[in-house]
Amino acid sequence: MSTHILTSDPTGAPPRTSSKPPGVLRRVWAQSEGRVGIVLTAVVVVLAVFGPLLAAPLTGYTPYQFADRPFAHSGVFGTDNLGRSVLARFLDGGRLLLLYSVLATALGMVVGGALGMLAAYARGWLDSVIMRLNDIVLAIPQLVFALLAITVLGPKGWVLVVVIGLTHAPRIARVARSATLRVINEDYIRAAEMYSVPRWRIIGREILPNIAGPLSVEAGLRLTYSIGAIASLSFLGLGMQPPTADWGLMINENRIALSVQPWGVLLSVFAIAVLTIGTNLLADAIARATAQTTVEE
Amino acid sequence: MPEPEHRRRPGAHRLSRRGLLGSGAALGSLGLLAACSNGAGGGEHFQVEGPPRKGGILRVGLTGGSAADTADAHSPVNNGDIARTVNLYDPLLMRDDDYVLRPRLATSFKPNAAATVWTATLRTGVRFSDGSPLEPEDVVYTFKRITDKKDPKVIASGLTMLDDVVKTGPHTVEFRLSEPNSVLDDQIGQYAGGIVPRGYDPKKPIGTGPFVLESFAPGESTVLKPNPHYWGKTGPFVDEVRLLSFNDDDAVINALLSSQVDAVSQIPLALVEVIGSDERMAILNSKTGRWMPFTMRVDRPPFDDVRVRQAFRLVVDRQQMIDQVLSGFGQLGNDMYGILDPAYPKDIPQRTQDIAKAKELLAAAGHGNGLKVELVTAPIQSGVVEAAQVFAQQAKAADIDVSIRRVDSTTFFGDDYLQWDFAQDFWNSRNILGQTVAGTVKDAPFNETHWDNPRFERLAAQARGELDEAKRAKLIRQGQEMLFDEGGYIIWGFANQVDAYQKYVAGMKENATGIPLGGYNFNRVWIGEVS
Repeated sequence: MSTHILTSDPTGAPPRTSSKPPGVLRRVWAQSEGRVGIVLTAVVVVLAVFGPLLAAPLTGYTPYQFADRPFAHSGVFGTDNLGRSVLARFLDGGRLLLLYSVLATALGMVVGGALGMLAAYARGWLDSVIMRLNDIVLAIPQLVFALLAITVLGPKGWVLVVVIGLTHAPRIARVARSATLRVINEDYIRAAEMYSVPRWRIIGREILPNIAGPLSVEAGLRLTYSIGAIASLSFLGLGMQPPTADWGLMINENRIALSVQPWGVLLSVFAIAVLTIGTNLLADAIARATAQTTVEE
Repeated sequence: MPEPEHRRRPGAHRLSRRGLLGSGAALGSLGLLAACSNGAGGGEHFQVEGPPRKGGILRVGLTGGSAADTADAHSPVNNGDIARTVNLYDPLLMRDDDYVLRPRLATSFKPNAAATVWTATLRTGVRFSDGSPLEPEDVVYTFKRITDKKDPKVIASGLTMLDDVVKTGPHTVEFRLSEPNSVLDDQIGQYAGGIVPRGYDPKKPIGTGPFVLESFAPGESTVLKPNPHYWGKTGPFVDEVRLLSFNDDDAVINALLSSQVDAVSQIPLALVEVIGSDERMAILNSKTGRWMPFTMRVDRPPFDDVRVRQAFRLVVDRQQMIDQVLSGFGQLGNDMYGILDPAYPKDIPQRTQDIAKAKELLAAAGHGNGLKVELVTAPIQSGVVEAAQVFAQQAKAADIDVSIRRVDSTTFFGDDYLQWDFAQDFWNSRNILGQTVAGTVKDAPFNETHWDNPRFERLAAQARGELDEAKRAKLIRQGQEMLFDEGGYIIWGFANQVDAYQKYVAGMKENATGIPLGGYNFNRVWIGEVS
């Protein structure tokens, strides 16, 4: 695998062992899985970001206007359970899902990453306290925890982001901790400590860049889970609220007519499937790309 | 303005070619299965005319069942409970297919001049399913059980003025009231008022209905057999009725299409055309008085200002509501309930959407820059959450920002039920005074709009004491006019009851009560022969 990557280096330069390996993105693109992942993800992201702008011009209806009777076959993909254009709602339905997934993942990364690095770097009692609390949170299934929080706080956007983000944090913290443990005894850390650089700066300046590889893999994986979790919650009626156009919600609203007017369900299912497969492939490719770096160094 | 009637005939709207092909492909495989299992494929014809044929099993698919299902005559809650109640018991009076009260176990039920004492004359020769004769003592026992202070049953809320029930002869019973009530017949003429024998045990139910309980597994299935002592002249014709419980609409419709059941109650209105286009299926489309109002609390801002309430009623495009929410299967509402009541004031002009007027009213009420409200909704009945969305969309035009808060049904009917500022509800067909007592007088058990108006109270009390129908209708009209002008309900329509059954099932009739499958009167249903 490593030779394949090295020979496919477009510059044709000899393997570099200097401190500047080829960019991660380039190494991801060099793998066929990485390319597929990037393309799939990009397609859905473009759809989600620009879809809302195209919904009305393309279909003639906003995602909220009534086009026909419910489950009619007018328009390209027919109408949904309230007679709104399925295509318009589909185009409008990915933006919030994507936004919330990214925000939740980012929150999980920040909180989990900080806790993990802190635990590994501090060791001792603080490590034990953080990691045992972590274990407690990990013992609760993610969706059950989310259901509980949303039932108490109500299905609001920030609740979704915070709940999904925080339930990711313990898993990320574990990865961050073990990655930190591996670099913590390196000479450059020792040197920084000798110069009595403040701990937070050592964590931020020395440790973080050196565990970025495993963390970015984890980020990709967590993004996949975030998409799944938020879409599931919307499907269960606890995520996005009607009349919002949302892929998860659309599946729930239109599944009753699956045999009659399947587009309301199928389009959303395809989009969510492509997005999760894409981000998953991308995460795998990043894993291999960054593993390469560590081997070479 | 003419009488508000929905003119588009359901079913007149033809399916597109693509729709037909699509649904045909999806349903085709199931149809094949059905043909194999039942020997009754699409092309065959059935003898469903002429004299009813005896024998066969009627399998009915129902949703909404749970472990809390009951066969208790007086505590029916869900769909299956109602089906059991109707077929195991008989009330003194019952509404027929046209929503007219008809004698059942009482051959007459008449008030005295002051409407404080009602006398029921019992039908002679009626026997319970255990063979014992129906006697006045059974009626006395039944109403003691229904109005038991420690455990009041479903219809007890309409019988608060009932002081005593007394046997006055071998076939007569007197209902003595603490205050006049001219519509007591309406309140006892309900499926939950079935007469049971003394010492009734709901675990071993005995009644006078056309069927007896053979077996009963709550949340799963019920088997009914003909009552050998049935007093009625019609049926039962089938050897057995099976009520089968399904988890959701998908499952029950698939069961129908694959001929695992012969009839299902209350199909989603959006699927009526598709199911109806299957040549093996028949659709039973009944106009009813069922309604799904929006409820505005008249004692809480912003709805304590009558102009806001009027504006909210004016933003509703009622025909669009019926088209999008009910797929066209409904009648227009005019913010007054009880459309089946002969006293329903049909001549009050139909309220229509008027955004300019609504904006004007809102501005006058101090909401010139728009208004933000929260609408609490829950899937308490199919169409309720959908209606909330259509309303939110329509209200945008008048700068009303409706944020929909969807809760689950348990939360909706929890501690905050009847306390929400702006929410929804659903009601079955009811006469106006019965509905008023249940929901729009000050102390009504379901006064969800917190309507409390001394003049209205007086009118309601007067109407309940008035035996002359014409005079009573006048009083009712005055009350309805008040609700039309100032009330807290937005009543946009009355939903049809639409059921589906296999074409070999005969004897299903449209029924206005809102009870599915022809009022669950399975005694008149029979299974047609392949001809």
